[in-house]
Amino acid sequence: MSQLNNESSTQHLYEGDQSALYSGLMNHHFGHDLKSEGSKKQVGRIWKVFWFLLAITIAEVIVGMFFSHSMPKALVATFFLGLTLLKAGYIVSVFMHLGDELKNFMIAVLIPLVLFIWFIIAFLYDGGFWLDMNNTSPNRNNTTQVIESHS
Amino acid sequence: MAQATAANAERKVWSGGRSPFNVSYGKMMMWFFLLSDAFTFGSFLISYGTTRFFSAVWPDPNKVFHAFPFMGEANLPLLFVSLMTFILIMSSVTMVLAVHAGHYGDRKGVIKWLLFTIIGGICFLSCQAWEWTHLSHQGAWWGSFTDINTAKETFEHFFNSKTIDNPAFKTGAGLQATHDFYNYFFTITGFHGGHVLSGVVFLIIALINTVNGTYDKRGHYEMIEKIGLYWHFVDLVWVFVFTCFYLL
Repeated sequence: MSQLNNESSTQHLYEGDQSALYSGLMNHHFGHDLKSEGSKKQVGRIWKVFWFLLAITIAEVIVGMFFSHSMPKALVATFFLGLTLLKAGYIVSVFMHLGDELKNFMIAVLIPLVLFIWFIIAFLYDGGFWLDMNNTSPNRNNTTQVIESHS
Repeated sequence: MAQATAANAERKVWSGGRSPFNVSYGKMMMWFFLLSDAFTFGSFLISYGTTRFFSAVWPDPNKVFHAFPFMGEANLPLLFVSLMTFILIMSSVTMVLAVHAGHYGDRKGVIKWLLFTIIGGICFLSCQAWEWTHLSHQGAWWGSFTDINTAKETFEHFFNSKTIDNPAFKTGAGLQATHDFYNYFFTITGFHGGHVLSGVVFLIIALINTVNGTYDKRGHYEMIEKIGLYWHFVDLVWVFVFTCFYLL
């Protein structure tokens, strides 16, 4: 091990320009033809994702303008949050190329986001609890009675 | 024997001389910066949600955001913010095309797509400036709607009729909700707008470097990739801001 680390052939990689460490990684298809088959396929995928994102957004706006007021609250929330996560997934995996990275790197980036699940449940529950307490506490004189607005 | 080979391969991955994750240091750090930024925006949006759950009444986005530039008093809910969303998604596409051109070392392509992205970013910021100006003319700003003697007439148009006509509607609760709503709105869209603004600055710097041939000399366009990650993240945050403020 120590033998390997002291090798001058490895050592120089950590000093100065580090691009040699990632040989062939940073330059991708540098100097290759942009009109090649592989390139065209990738551009096609980018535009396909764009149309998909646009379609989802239009669907969301139409529902938000005309229908969300007459739909049950839980359904509205599930619908919008589901589509939002779908859009986010496409942006991260295709536009940000996370889908093309190694699996262990994907995991390293995505695992910490799991904390959001606890974060959202805990804080929204707390908000609801405070509203309930304000409504039921005799000292608060029912100042903040919930009014259903369906939006 | 097979075990020994596997152990050997394992050691090679982590013993230096190469990147175990197959990404460069700069790009990995950009990803982890964006991860931390995701938690910042996440905290903002979750505290917005908590306040909303805590409030008995809440302004209706269809009532708050219904104006469009040069359309006067026309009632066009969500239309302007849809335009802003479209501009940002479009600029995300031009950005990813710039990254793609960079992968192939196509300098002219990178310059073209970066220019489009910068224009998109500036359009988005202009839209936001107009929206903020419009809302501030309606009396909304940080710390607005705090005076307990404020007449109900000055903020009732932010709520839908079902809420405001309910006999249980309390002026104090409505005032508090309006105040909270605008504080969160300006803070969160302002923080996002700050990201867009700095993104535009980074893009302009990258464009100057590209024109000067800096990345050709380096032999790779990775800087475009890293700025691209940042730009897509800004678009990603907008997707969530759009849902939380304008749709839900």
